[in-house]
Amino acid sequence: MYQPQKTLPYRLEMYRQIKRKRTLFSYLFVISLPVIVALAVKFGTSGNSSGPTRFGSGTADLIGLATKGAANFTTTMFYFATPFLLIAVISIFNGDTVASEASWSTLRYLLAAPVPRTRLLIQKLKVSLTLSFIAIALLISTSWIVGAITFGFKPLQTPLGATFSNGLALQRIVIIGLYLALVLLAVAGLAFYLSVSTDVPLGAVGGAIGIIILSNILDAISGLGSLRNWLPTHYSFSWFDALSSSIDWTQMIRGACYSLILFAILISRAVIKFNKKDITS
Amino acid sequence: MKSLRISVAALLLFLTAGSDSSAFANTHYSTENLRLGGAGGVFLDATIYLPGGSPAPAILLAHGFTGDKTSVAGQAEQLAAHGYVVLTWTARGFGNSTGEISMDSPTGEVADVSKLIDYLATRKEVVQQSKSDPLVGVTGDSYGGAISLMVAGYDKRIDAVAANITWNNLVHVFFPQNANDPSLGPYKKFWAGTFFALATLPKSVAGECGTFTVAWCNAFKDAVATGSPTPADISLMNASSPSTITSRIIAPTLLMQGEADSLFPLSESIKNAQEIHNAHPLTPLAMIWHSGGHDGGSDESARLHQSVSDWFDIYLRGAKKRFPIFQVTNTNGSISLVDSSVIAKFLTSSKLPLSIATQPIAISIPFTALIAPIGGIPGAISSLPGVGSALALAGSVAGATAAFLPGQSGFLESAPITKPIHIVGPSSVKIRITSNKKNATLFFSLVVRTASGQTKQPNGIVNPVHLSDIANSGSDYTITLPAVVLDAAPGDKLAVAISTTDQGYALPQDGRQYAITSISPINISRMAFTTKVNRVALIGWPIAAVLITLLAIGAAYLRRPRHNTKPMVESDALVTVSNLTKVYKDGYKAVDGLSFQVKRGQVLGLLGPNGAGKTTTLRMMMGLIFPTTGEIAINGEPIYPGSPTLAKLGSFVEGSGFLPHLSGRENLELYWKSIGRSDEPFFDDAIRITDLGSALNKKVRSYSQGMRQRLAIAQAMLGMPDLLVLDEPTNGLDPQQIKAMREVLKRYAKTGRTVIVSSHLLGEVEQTCTHVVLMHRGRLITYGTMRRILTKAGSRAGTLEEIFIELIGDDLTIGREK
Repeated sequence: MYQPQKTLPYRLEMYRQIKRKRTLFSYLFVISLPVIVALAVKFGTSGNSSGPTRFGSGTADLIGLATKGAANFTTTMFYFATPFLLIAVISIFNGDTVASEASWSTLRYLLAAPVPRTRLLIQKLKVSLTLSFIAIALLISTSWIVGAITFGFKPLQTPLGATFSNGLALQRIVIIGLYLALVLLAVAGLAFYLSVSTDVPLGAVGGAIGIIILSNILDAISGLGSLRNWLPTHYSFSWFDALSSSIDWTQMIRGACYSLILFAILISRAVIKFNKKDITS
Repeated sequence: MKSLRISVAALLLFLTAGSDSSAFANTHYSTENLRLGGAGGVFLDATIYLPGGSPAPAILLAHGFTGDKTSVAGQAEQLAAHGYVVLTWTARGFGNSTGEISMDSPTGEVADVSKLIDYLATRKEVVQQSKSDPLVGVTGDSYGGAISLMVAGYDKRIDAVAANITWNNLVHVFFPQNANDPSLGPYKKFWAGTFFALATLPKSVAGECGTFTVAWCNAFKDAVATGSPTPADISLMNASSPSTITSRIIAPTLLMQGEADSLFPLSESIKNAQEIHNAHPLTPLAMIWHSGGHDGGSDESARLHQSVSDWFDIYLRGAKKRFPIFQVTNTNGSISLVDSSVIAKFLTSSKLPLSIATQPIAISIPFTALIAPIGGIPGAISSLPGVGSALALAGSVAGATAAFLPGQSGFLESAPITKPIHIVGPSSVKIRITSNKKNATLFFSLVVRTASGQTKQPNGIVNPVHLSDIANSGSDYTITLPAVVLDAAPGDKLAVAISTTDQGYALPQDGRQYAITSISPINISRMAFTTKVNRVALIGWPIAAVLITLLAIGAAYLRRPRHNTKPMVESDALVTVSNLTKVYKDGYKAVDGLSFQVKRGQVLGLLGPNGAGKTTTLRMMMGLIFPTTGEIAINGEPIYPGSPTLAKLGSFVEGSGFLPHLSGRENLELYWKSIGRSDEPFFDDAIRITDLGSALNKKVRSYSQGMRQRLAIAQAMLGMPDLLVLDEPTNGLDPQQIKAMREVLKRYAKTGRTVIVSSHLLGEVEQTCTHVVLMHRGRLITYGTMRRILTKAGSRAGTLEEIFIELIGDDLTIGREK
């Protein structure tokens, strides 16, 4: 008996992906960031940390506060991970997922089985988003643990001078993690769309990372003014608002919703494209 | 999709819209430079901006201290473009105007402006309410703000006022007293000196007093020499203070004041508002506390100019606009990581901060002892004119900062607070002071001390007090703390900071000791605010996100491929290919009108040279490629991508497809689990037929070509499908492997199932197949049983290969096969 709703079950696809070296290395990549930074701070020479920073005083404070305790260390890791590390990992998970099946020629056997095409994309997306979410959770937990071991549990000091207890800090860190998960949906959508568009996994992953880096560069050009509000990564740092004593949600809501809009459009386009595509890989 | 795109565009437009689009906008205006007569024979250098069209209300736009009419040209142009007649002028004693600076005195600058109103009454471009009463509003910053309030008090013809960062009373500004003590406060020497110098140095050719009147020059000298003004000086300052005439103001008044202003602190605007409101409670009054001011802060001039323009629209033109009674910018909110700019929060209230409800915050460290150094040096630096809070500059080093010198400063602290506190406005505290001297000069502020030891003094604003008669046993005073906008988070402590020195003020020259005890809680101002929510952001964006998500899902659903699922005509054939054509996007015709049938139990050979269209045909049979026209049916059910009928078909086309990081067995198992089948997979049969053996447990990555090929054929056989489709199964195999493969196919066919096998090796097919379809260039050449085709060729051609050449001649041009 053939039942289309039982094709490519979530747990099976998860198993297929988790067994991959790519997944292991991506997670090692995420874990290594807090470990390396903690080691560098702990054993490195205490150099002059007041050098010029790209983002001005607010940021310099955030980095300067990294050694204040587990919570501060975690927020600093967020700051380091937002512009590239998380984007790279999310691009890998979502960009590689369909294109790698095409490159292994497994895609045609799944489709001929038949796994209905929309279902195949939805199942793959569910798994790649789960893997992406795990990456963010892993960053938080590793940073917190490494921070606690290296610098101890101390209240969170924000660059604005506020101090949060560990409980409140943890709440804020969870908010930041959830916000990052939402705001990076746009990146996931972009990578997934490219994954459906090409048979070359590296092309989809690299294409997504390239577009996001371009977006980051454009975002740094102040001459573009409010046009920058429409860049996919413009709001990726808005989680900083969660570090003020009373959270101003305006930017984060806008960022999350904009990301969701981009994600919905890109995934819709990916499904339409895939449903009409001649599979020649 | 087009409709989706249009709706997205419309939504984005809706989200970006929301800026003010005015019905009065008119970018065309002309200017005239004028030399107008002021009071007492003074001539004023002026410019009038005239928008085209019918008569318009006029706005008198005054400049700040040391500026001239050109310093407000930008705002004048905006207002003129917005449709107002704008008159700017250089105040007497400045720029190209004649006369002497008398600090907005009633007989000097105020009288000048009345003359300007007389002039506006003569212009036909200005709306006239009655003879010599034009419809006119007045606005300005600082010195220009004071003249606005003064004129509104002295000249009844003013119809609307908007005054920014200005004073209520100059005595209180320069000798601020914030305790209930009858004496004057300490002299604010730094600011007074800065202003006097700024005005006199450019005009020093006129002598040490520049263009100041003699009376004002003397008042400055008295203050510098003695630290206290004479009665004549005091009446001079009072005459130039709105406080003397605020009771007469009946024109709608907008008061704007900066949070970063140690010269004219927020309390000045509170007094102006209180006095105007108490005299005429019905006078429309609104207040804005913004993040700018004389200390710098952050520039909100664009927003303020918009507010001024709105205010005049409402009261000069009767426009219907919402204007919050009280708006406050809260800069404690957050800092942009992108450019370090402060992301302000805008709070609004429907009430003015006139009589403020208070909330007591208990003090848990109620005692501090201080010394005042001899000569007042070193002195604390709380704020610097034009630069802002010194604390912000020095950085928040735990413990001593420039604002709080050790020994010279002390804190009356609360316990760590448990709930966030938002303070807008002045606070107060009662203290008992004892000293080794009869009098004291002290500087009070409300600060937040964080658990990490930082002290936040909002904008470096301090409230000076001068206590003139301290009893030996100590005296009690009520101290007003600075009006501030301040947030404190749980864990922070609120504190009254007290300092004995401040470089901005004249200080006692002898050394002193003070002991100060708080005898009341800190009474903080308690106002209900609603954050000025950006409705578009908080509601519009989520709505847009939901709508666009639904549209996107809808688009994907509507644009799903639709297939003919109607069963085809009953037939005993297992596979029916009818009139199948495939034209690729680049125009290449891979298959052209192909029709044939395969019955159960047959082993059909699909033959043709490279590029004949064999693989394309098989891919269409697997639902991977969409036919341009024609259909394929299995058991009468049409084939399309995802068609359930495909489950009856096992396939191997153009090489194997496995997850390289898993073993052969895992690949087979995972494949079976992923294809949604609940019947028996016949793993062992598939493995036996393909003779895989022990290699099954190795990773596919390590397999040889032949191993992969056999594993792929085993995968195709899983579940023993009715139809097995194999594309070039012997490609890349060595002769022994080819022989083995042939056996595999024969064994499978023996089970009564059907096999379609494509090949370009004709001899190969000859030994395996019962039936043959011969293709060339996408077309069917011939089709029938192997025997019939072999006999049809007659005696001359004995093999399939020779027949093939005979049928198509030398036309073996290799096509292109995808």
